[in-house]
Formats: sequence, structure tokens, C-alpha cells
Amino acid sequence: MSNGAATRRLLLPGSSFYVIFFVIPFVILGLYSFWTQIDFKMHPGFTLEHYQAVLTTSLYKGVFLRTIIVATLTAIIVVPIAYVLSYIMQFVFPRKGRILFDIILVSMFSGYLVRIYAWRTILGKEGLLNATLLQLRIISKPITFLIFSNWSIAITLVGLLIPLALLPISSSMANVSKDHLEVAGDLGSRGLNMHRTILIPMVLPGISTAFAISFILAAGDFVVPTMVGGTNGVMVGNLIADQFKGLAPNWPLGAALAMSVLVVLIAIHAALMRLVREITRW
Amino acid sequence: MHDSLDELRNAKLNAPVSRRYVLNGILGISAVAAFGPLLAACAKSDSSTEAASGGKLGGELNFIGYSGEDAATVAKDFLTKNGITVKPTFIASPDEPLTKFKTGGRGQLDIISDNKDFQRSLLAAGEELYQALDLSRIPNAAGLFPAFASAEWLTKDGNVYGVPLIWGDEPCVYNPAKWDGVPAKYTDFADKKFKGELVMVDDAVANTWLWAKSMGIADPSRMTQKQIDATIKEMLKTKPNVVTFSASLGDQADVLVRGDASIAIGGWAYQIVLAEKKGVTLKSASPATDGTFYWSDAYGIAVDAPNIDNAYAFINYMMSPEANAAIATELGSGATISAAVDKLDANTKGLYDYSIVAQPGGGVLGSQVVTPPINDDGDIVGMPKWVKAWEAFKLG
Repeated sequence: MSNGAATRRLLLPGSSFYVIFFVIPFVILGLYSFWTQIDFKMHPGFTLEHYQAVLTTSLYKGVFLRTIIVATLTAIIVVPIAYVLSYIMQFVFPRKGRILFDIILVSMFSGYLVRIYAWRTILGKEGLLNATLLQLRIISKPITFLIFSNWSIAITLVGLLIPLALLPISSSMANVSKDHLEVAGDLGSRGLNMHRTILIPMVLPGISTAFAISFILAAGDFVVPTMVGGTNGVMVGNLIADQFKGLAPNWPLGAALAMSVLVVLIAIHAALMRLVREITRW
Repeated sequence: MHDSLDELRNAKLNAPVSRRYVLNGILGISAVAAFGPLLAACAKSDSSTEAASGGKLGGELNFIGYSGEDAATVAKDFLTKNGITVKPTFIASPDEPLTKFKTGGRGQLDIISDNKDFQRSLLAAGEELYQALDLSRIPNAAGLFPAFASAEWLTKDGNVYGVPLIWGDEPCVYNPAKWDGVPAKYTDFADKKFKGELVMVDDAVANTWLWAKSMGIADPSRMTQKQIDATIKEMLKTKPNVVTFSASLGDQADVLVRGDASIAIGGWAYQIVLAEKKGVTLKSASPATDGTFYWSDAYGIAVDAPNIDNAYAFINYMMSPEANAAIATELGSGATISAAVDKLDANTKGLYDYSIVAQPGGGVLGSQVVTPPINDDGDIVGMPKWVKAWEAFKLG
């Protein structure tokens, strides 16, 4: 058997899973976006009216913009924190770092919704943060924008996504030998310059993945905006979810919204990654 | 003891709105502890089961309906004794049983549990889903309150298509430490003194209906586009005072308990019980001028139900005073069997005014229609336009 055939055979289970559970549903979603729905029934056809609605509904533009801002802000905060944590765990405290890594990962076992409620407990009007600040007399009345605002969405998402961003960056950094950094230091590349010219380029695939995970999950999330976003915290994920439920569902519009979001996210991610490459170029 | 709020959090956060969505979390061990005596009584109260079933029980029972109304805890002994295994499918919106029935589910559904407005619309439209019931096989239904024994929304051409299980209303729930009561009208919530104090459920129908009523629209379920636009415009005056649109009624209770808001609009009297377990005192009241609306959920049997004997026996069992009291307790709702009321604890009993359902026709519960038509009906706008209007409100 040739190497190619053996490779294909080995890849078959994984790729089959990918095709069945990702590619086919994705294609169906794409098709739905061109169909129509009447009385809970999908009618195959070809119409661009849903994409037209996405592009021309003024209320949607504000939601798209808010989503992009919140998701970008979240990813921009999450990735550097995850990078710094990874660096500390890998190179500063390589032994104790493992414990820190485990602690961060264990937090993921507590469940997504539980962690959102934990943030509600921290950020609420009578929450931990306000209570502490009041106790210390730093504030005289509770800060209200901490909960049910776009800020609370970003803060909560940052808290939720750091462990996920940590995984790809740590994984990339694990492949970097400390010798490289020492050699770089001997050659005069130290501090931030070492990160910019040596380490970040070496772990860029991990950073890119972490950014993509953070950005896409933040942009698509509809639970966090629902739970902590308040009345002006609707994001695209909420719009999409709303189209797939209730007494007046509109799956084609939901599909068109989802496909549109995908295109926008890919474009933004590509642009940002290109920017990072430019910055870290020798 | 159990912690209902924590439980319902875990269960309902992704769910759309409705009291039913908090029910997942209230089930289980807590339910057994809360009404164990009732369950024990239930086990002894199925003397009419054989009459209901024809003596051919056992096997599967396919349930589709709101979470909790499958009565997994309440009917556990009955199901075990009769060798019946319930296969539940929980719904997030009332249309789902019809959708499932029409998309390959025919012949696979036995019991459907749905709300009165949808059942009314379905029967009016002549949609095939429910089969006419043989009430001689549900002898316990004779104990229904007058409002439910002659439920107009479940009757067509002399046939009965459902047996009400629970009922309730949607009052405002408020923190008495901050407020003496609620204003006389929903539109009064636009007053700046309510800024940062209100929480609404993310429900396109309930809120729009309440505001339309407050604006003097005689039948809010049948509004023109102009009327619904005017309603949304009026609602937008209140929006700055609303801190969040909660994902469910359980989540709404949580917002109140945490002190992030002090008045829940379109709430649920059971939120008072949930809050009390967290050491927070809440009260309920409806705006004196506007009032609120009432709901009821009923069991029906699907056309071509494959396990019809099990279905009849199950419904009959759930209509026993003990089981009906137990499910009302578990779901924080009103009992539909008159003899069940005496078996309720004081808290559950005090949640609702039973004089409403004691009258034939059910008074306001019977006459009120909340859900708009599924589709436009002449100038009357249908559900899709209500949803669009609510979306405009949320994004406005």
C-alpha cells in the first residue's frame, strides 16, 4: 500500500466525522438562507431577500457593529492575557506553572452557565465588586454599568474565554525551547523586542488560533449577552437564535444572518492576523 | 433542602420565555421532598385507572409538551406500577408539537401538553393534531373546576380535545422593601422613578399584549400594524427603565433576588416562593386598572397515538386530586381539579384566586385571548409581525 493510500485511510474516520457533522450541516444552513419559510415549513427555492434584509435593515447594522466591537475588544484582551500566562507558565515558573495551568483548566469544568452566574454575582448592583468598593468607601453608591451593559458582556466573555485561549498558545509555546530565547538574549534581543521578534512569530499559529477562538465565540455568543447584556446588549448571536424559535421562526433569515456573520468574521480575522504578521516582521 | 433557583438556572438559561422553562430545575429530588405525602396519596388514588385504560397498560408513552408537565416525579409510582415508560420531548414554544406532527411525527406522539391560546388557534384553524377525547375514559376529569370542565378553547363541534392540567396568571412581582405596590397602568412604568428597577421577560407576545391593553386597545390579540407600532412606541418610553430582558421567568426571579431590579413585569407568583427560599421577600400585584392575563395548559391526545390506553390512563391519573395538587405544587401553578385545592400547601394555594376558575366559562381566563393569529388576518397582524415589532423594541 502506498503512503498516500495509508494516509487517506487513516484520515478517513476523522474527515468523515468532519464532513457529516460540520460540512453537511453547514451546506444545509447555506441552502436555507436562499429558501423561504411559510407556516413553519421550509420551501426550497432561490431568493436573496434574506440577505437583502440583513444588509438593509438599519437595526441590524447597529447590532453587527456592536458585536464586532465587543468581540474584537474581548479577543484583544483575552489573547495578550493568555499569552502572558502561557509565557509565565512555560518559561518563568515552568514547574509551578503547570499547577496554574491546571487551576485555570479546572475552572472550565464548572460549566458555562455557572461561570456566567458567577460573573453576575461579582458584577451585580449588590454584587461582590460593588459591595467591596462600598465597604472600602471608594464609591458611595453602586456602579450600575458593571452589570447589564456592553462592558459586562466583554468582562464576562474575557473571563470565560481565557482558558480556551490559553490552550493553543500554551501548546505552541511548549514547542519553543528556552535555548532559543537565551540565544536571542545573547544576541541582544531582550524584553519586549524578544517577544516581538522571536517568541510571537514562533507561536503565531497558536496566537492566531486563540484569537480566532476568542473572537468567533464572543461574536457568536448569545447566552452571555442575554444574561448580562441588559436591554442594549443584543448581539448577532441573539438575532440568529431568535430566528430559530418561537411562534414565528424565520430559519432562512437566521441562516442568512449566520452566513453573513461568518463572512464578516473571516474578513476581520484575516485582516487582524495580517496586521500581527506585519508588526512582528523582522 | 433543595435550591430551586440554582436548579432552574442550570436548566433554563438557554430557553426562551415561559414559566415552563423554569420547571426543569424544580423537578427531581426537591419535588419528592416537597410533596412526598401527596405522592404517597397518589399511589393509592388510581382506582379508576383500569376503567381509563381498559386494562391494557404497559410499554411506552410518548409525551411532547412543556418541561415538567410530563410529571416524571408526580406520576413515578403510577408509571412504575403499570410498566409504562414515558419518552418525553420538551418544547420551547407551543408550535412544536404541530411541527413535529407534520414532519414525520404522526403516529409517534401520544400525549401533547400545550397552552390554551395555541390550542384555541389550532382548533379554530381546523388543524389536525388532537383527537377528540372519550371522557368516559377520564373519569377523574369530572372533578375539574367549572371553568375547565367547559373549557371553550378545548371544545369544537361538541367534542372535547383537551383536559386542563394547570393554570395561572402573569402579575408584576415586586420588592416590598422598595415599593408599596405597582402603578395602576403598565404605561405608568415609563416614569423615571422606575429607572434601573424593572425587569421584563424576553417575550414578544406577553409584554406587547399588556401594553396594548394598557393603551386601551379592546382586544390586544387582534391589532393592526398601526396599533402595534403605536404600542411599541409607547413601550419604548419604558425601555430606559428596564435593566434587562430575562431569558426566562426563573431568570427574572434571579434578577429580583440579586437586587439588580425590584419589579418584574409579566412575572409569576411562584417567583415569590422561589425568592423566599433565598431569604428575599417579594410580593405580587397586577396594575389595578390594566390587570394581567391568564394562561392554562392542557393535556390532549394526538391523532394516531400509538399508545392510547397508556395515554388515557396517564391523563386520568393526573386528574386525580392528589396528582393534580402535586403537579400544581411542583410547577407553582393553579390546580384545575377543585378537590386538589384543599391538598395544596398554604403558599401554593395562596398564589392564585380560585374564584376565577370556580365560575363556569372561567371568567377572564376563559374569555381572554393573548396570542395573535399565526398569520395576518386582513388588517389584523399575525405573529411574525409581533415578533418583528418586539425585535424593533429590543433593538430600538
